[in-house]
Amino acid sequence: MHLDATTLSLAIACGVAAGLLAGLFGVGGGIIFVPTLVIIFSFHQLDAQATSLAAIIPVALIGAWRQNTENLVYWRGAVIMGVGAAFGVLIGAEFALRLPEATLSRVFGMVLLLVGGEMIISSVRKLKAKRAAAN
Amino acid sequence: MDLETQIGRVGVLPYVAIGVVSGLFAAMFGIGGGVVIVPLLILITRMPARMAAATSLATLILTSLMGVIRFSGSGHIDWVAAIVIGAPAVVGVLIGIRFQKRLPAEWLILGFGLFVVAIGLKLVFAL
Repeated sequence: MHLDATTLSLAIACGVAAGLLAGLFGVGGGIIFVPTLVIIFSFHQLDAQATSLAAIIPVALIGAWRQNTENLVYWRGAVIMGVGAAFGVLIGAEFALRLPEATLSRVFGMVLLLVGGEMIISSVRKLKAKRAAAN
Repeated sequence: MDLETQIGRVGVLPYVAIGVVSGLFAAMFGIGGGVVIVPLLILITRMPARMAAATSLATLILTSLMGVIRFSGSGHIDWVAAIVIGAPAVVGVLIGIRFQKRLPAEWLILGFGLFVVAIGLKLVFAL
């Protein structure tokens, strides 16, 4: 990896942005890490994904520790999901190492559109109900 | 939210399913750990938004560890790069959590929904 002042400062800015999203929304930051590594550091897609997972470890650790100080972590659920996720990672890695990703990522995108759309609609509905109740 | 009754209400299965799906996506696309966990926790288990985000981060400890174990042998991980982007992200996550505290739940869910839709559009149209 080639590091000069420009790429280093860009990487730090993207790192902070990824962390902000991680703290706000509980995501790991891969959505920022992966394109950052591909575009700024010219990583191959798979190397970017693997390196992104490594970068997420400290973010998840510190973030969960911080949230736990306010009793916001539901640990039983997290452990059960984490064990399931460990299996999912092993299966997903086989696909990632073997299959072209274009079609799969498109399907994933469509699922996200549905899920995100539902979240937007339900929250707007609640905000409207709140406003109506306030008046 | 009563932490202890949460699993009793929805059972173990939804958590296992959410975990497996999030791990699959995380390994296949490098994203999808939290992007999958948070909305599904809110929609399926009715967990409050802030707790869903916090619990997702705790889950990602295991997801990312397993990913690193799986991919490290094949030489796909650049540790210097991981530190260069990961260290500033640790600062970012603490700032993000501080912001989150002041945000009402509806706005948090709305923001997350917009964020998820943006990622969905990016993937569908390969932007």
